[in-house]
Amino acid sequence: MPETDFSLASVAPALPEIYLTVMVCVVLMVDVFAGQTRRGLTATFTLLTLAVGAGLTAMYSHVGVRTTLFNGLYVADELAWVLKLFGFLFVAFALLYSRTYLNDRGLLRGEYFVLALTALLGVFVLASANSLLTVYVGVELLALSVYAMVAFDRESGIAAESAMKYFVLGAIASGALLYGMSMIYGLTGTLSIDVLADHLRGEPSLGVILGLVFIVVAVAFKMGAVPFHMWLPDVYHGAPTAVTLFISTAPKLAYFALAFRLLAEGLQGLVQDWSRMLAALAVLTLIVGNLVALAQTNIKRLLAYSTIANVGFIVLGFVAGTPAGYSAALYYTIVYVLTTLGSFGVVVLASRKGFEADELDHYKGLHARDPMLAFMMMMLMFSTAGVPPFVGFWAKLRIIQELWATNHPWLVVIAAAVSVVGAFYYLRVVKLMYFDAPADVPDTERQTGVRFALGLNAVAVLVLGILPGPLLDLCARLIHQ
Amino acid sequence: MLVQILFWAFAAVLVGSALGVILTRNPVHSALSLVLCFVTSAAIWLLIEAEFLAVVLVLVYVGAVMVLFLFVVMMLDINTEELRSGFTRYAWLGWLTAGVVIAEIVGVVMARSLGVDVTKGAEPLPADYSNTTELGAALFTQYAYPFELAAVLLLVAIVAAIALTMRKRPGHKVQDVAKQVAVRPQDRIRIVKMDPEKGA
Amino acid sequence: MITLGHLLALSAVLFAIAVAGVFLNRKNVILLLMCVELLLLAANFNFVAFSRYLGDISGQVFVFFVLTVAAAESAIGLAILVVLFRERRSINVEDLNTLKG
Repeated sequence: MPETDFSLASVAPALPEIYLTVMVCVVLMVDVFAGQTRRGLTATFTLLTLAVGAGLTAMYSHVGVRTTLFNGLYVADELAWVLKLFGFLFVAFALLYSRTYLNDRGLLRGEYFVLALTALLGVFVLASANSLLTVYVGVELLALSVYAMVAFDRESGIAAESAMKYFVLGAIASGALLYGMSMIYGLTGTLSIDVLADHLRGEPSLGVILGLVFIVVAVAFKMGAVPFHMWLPDVYHGAPTAVTLFISTAPKLAYFALAFRLLAEGLQGLVQDWSRMLAALAVLTLIVGNLVALAQTNIKRLLAYSTIANVGFIVLGFVAGTPAGYSAALYYTIVYVLTTLGSFGVVVLASRKGFEADELDHYKGLHARDPMLAFMMMMLMFSTAGVPPFVGFWAKLRIIQELWATNHPWLVVIAAAVSVVGAFYYLRVVKLMYFDAPADVPDTERQTGVRFALGLNAVAVLVLGILPGPLLDLCARLIHQ
Repeated sequence: MLVQILFWAFAAVLVGSALGVILTRNPVHSALSLVLCFVTSAAIWLLIEAEFLAVVLVLVYVGAVMVLFLFVVMMLDINTEELRSGFTRYAWLGWLTAGVVIAEIVGVVMARSLGVDVTKGAEPLPADYSNTTELGAALFTQYAYPFELAAVLLLVAIVAAIALTMRKRPGHKVQDVAKQVAVRPQDRIRIVKMDPEKGA
Repeated sequence: MITLGHLLALSAVLFAIAVAGVFLNRKNVILLLMCVELLLLAANFNFVAFSRYLGDISGQVFVFFVLTVAAAESAIGLAILVVLFRERRSINVEDLNTLKG
């Protein structure tokens, strides 16, 4: 029987998870006893929880030394630590932006915040997963919370429809993931990702390849890579904008962790095989994402296809198959989440009670109506398009550098070509805001605090673009093998 | 020998009822076929001596999950005739995919190139072996971390199901148990002092 | 003697039936949810079989978690289904066409 040590000192590196689990229960209780009488109390309390969590994680870090806990099911390393810190911050910002939006639509209920926190817990579990079992539980914890959040607006048929699609397709993907995991488990005799890496050296057997195919399909689905992207535009469009904003933040970090822990750590021995599969997926993803985005008239769908296009770049980082490639993918993921957080934040702020600013036409002449919001949106769009000196430029450059270094010239050409196509639709949004006559739509939301946070977000995109060094170095340091 | 006969019999019923799930016209029949699937699967798991999971499969799946399915099927009162009026244009794709998947997997298994010897049987277990004990020991020591996470997962399911489906309708008649319990005799019975009737 | 090959082949057949079911049943979302349950059953078969033939209990522990997750999953799936039915009065997959991929 395995030795089991649950002393306080031994579980200390799992502090973020333990703290978050406790706070889920506390938030639930606060909502039951005080949330009904004082609306918004749960929201404030959740934001406070996230801020304290970020502080605790930042202060109390076992960085440097990689340790495994809970009989090797949990790994505490620098990568997990940074992903958790960013997870806390991004979710806090996402909830801060969406508070008024939720309140206006009667969605400011305690359950929403509980589900957001459990989704974040799922992200943490994935970030620290060191066993196929932990990966599976993390994926499901995140996915189940998000399905419920998408359907959270019970009056909206379109939200329920997108939630149903997301759920059915997601459940099939987790079925595939499980089937793949069962093959890998059966043929290597272990669930542990560390041990798996040792077992899978040399020529893989057919069964292992079969399992790998199922796992790659599931990972591609979760990330939203073509041809497994069908759910993504529908969910982004159908879900309340606040939920769309949430989905495009912390879960993206989790799916990076999923791909990294499963493919780059556990199945590193099969890198030849999966990098070829991912290369095909990435090319399709880049082309479909960028071309279909050109035809969109709805900004949520536009940003959804833009997400798909960006996922293509993240997958390209994995195609490189080297630690430098993974760190480029990590850098891209963080930068992308930071930028999209801002873009959806603008969409949320442009919406008012009874009005959803989700058509591109609603942004016509935004500069004349609300110069500050238009300016922030312009910075974010430039960054996503990869225009220097914004941070998006460095993210794209790093991926392309790594592809070049690992001898994938064709992929470099395709990535560069689609970036040019992509720039077109981002710049179209800027053109609408600055050069068209103002649209006849309600005023934008003018809450100072939220605007300040969004301003910080936009400024971060610029500052990290001018001084890319620290974040790049951090990402390079996090992934070393 | 007996084990082998039982295995083939259960396997045949399992495949038959799985086909029943996807081919019958009525969702209630599909759900019942799925119940049969789970029961026969449990029987096969018993044959290969995974007793605890066999029992859990029947208790959790047949006892809870499938009842939930049936409950929703009945509650939604779907017009079954209209719903199952034939397969769609994707039918060929379905059969094709299924054929390819079967061919691939069975091919790999039969071609003995899976990477593991598929012709061997399991090591017989000693007479005093308890599947439940071993599973429990692993679950509460080595796998304590995911066990705790499973608790959070069930909490998510509870919160989500309540948040999505519970509504407070006006004019909805429910008992308020707290009020019922807190009731005092003097709220219900009023003792009226009356002058006694004057006898005739 | 029941060999590992028997069980893996059976699980493959189940998996294929479930996948076929997903493509065939475009008429009713509940059927899709049942096909997902079949899919999970197929994966569970693999885990139990491998666990038993490897003499390693962790595969069976995994199945235990899959059962837990599947129960939670169907609770949420059916809750979403109920919300959808209240809004649309239909759970026909072909009626779910407001959003086009």
